[in-house]
Amino acid sequence: MKRELVFILSLIALTSVCDTINQLFLKSAINSLVSPRGNIKAVLKFIIQLILIPRVWISFLFSVISLCIWLFVLSQVDLSFAFSADSMHYIFIAVASRFILKEKVCLKRWIGIVLIVVGIMVVSLS
Amino acid sequence: MSQKKFTFKLLFFLVFTDFMETFTHLCFKKSALIENEVSITKFSEFFVFLQSVFSSPFLWLGLLSVLGTFIIWSTLLSKVDLSVAVPVCSFSYILIPLASIVFLHEKVSLFRWSGVLFILLGVIFVSLSASEKERALE
Repeated sequence: MKRELVFILSLIALTSVCDTINQLFLKSAINSLVSPRGNIKAVLKFIIQLILIPRVWISFLFSVISLCIWLFVLSQVDLSFAFSADSMHYIFIAVASRFILKEKVCLKRWIGIVLIVVGIMVVSLS
Repeated sequence: MSQKKFTFKLLFFLVFTDFMETFTHLCFKKSALIENEVSITKFSEFFVFLQSVFSSPFLWLGLLSVLGTFIIWSTLLSKVDLSVAVPVCSFSYILIPLASIVFLHEKVSLFRWSGVLFILLGVIFVSLSASEKERALE
């Protein structure tokens, strides 16, 4: 029972890592475009421009991997548990920012991360 | 950082993505439920599992919803700061357990709700600090 929980949690961690990579690529692609103004036509043009950027395809690839693992996780555990545990991607982003990108992570963010960790532990124990 | 106005219309779309996300995960869960007892010992069995899940109409409904969410979310992110968008969208941490109770008949204990509350607070704290981060990046 305990080993199963660790297995599922590590799979959820894996989807979170994939999601993090996916979001990073997507955000950097969006940043390279001009924000659309108002009408539907401008929005559609924006989306077409976005799809043509190769980074969006890398992002897409990672979301497919993430989806496949996620579906397996959902077949094993409750949705209310899995979705709460999936919030661990906030932790990965902060840790990656601090140790890979050498960004400064402020106190407010660490407090938030501690709260998320406590929350995931409580949800996992229930 | 350019001034980005936060209008009621934007708030509506942000809350709308919460509901879309909840719908997506309900569909995914429904599609994964088809194969009741999956015990995967070999890696190849994982593909058998995926094959059965991908033949479920619920999965495709979920993917359609993902596509819709992606389009709305991408457009929103170019208009709203991430530090504003994320707390509003963390509303789905409450919506999803609620939907799990109503549509999937899962049992969510008071203990689990307290865990959800911690996560929600954490997400809000993390995104509050994002405004400082974004300013530094500009």
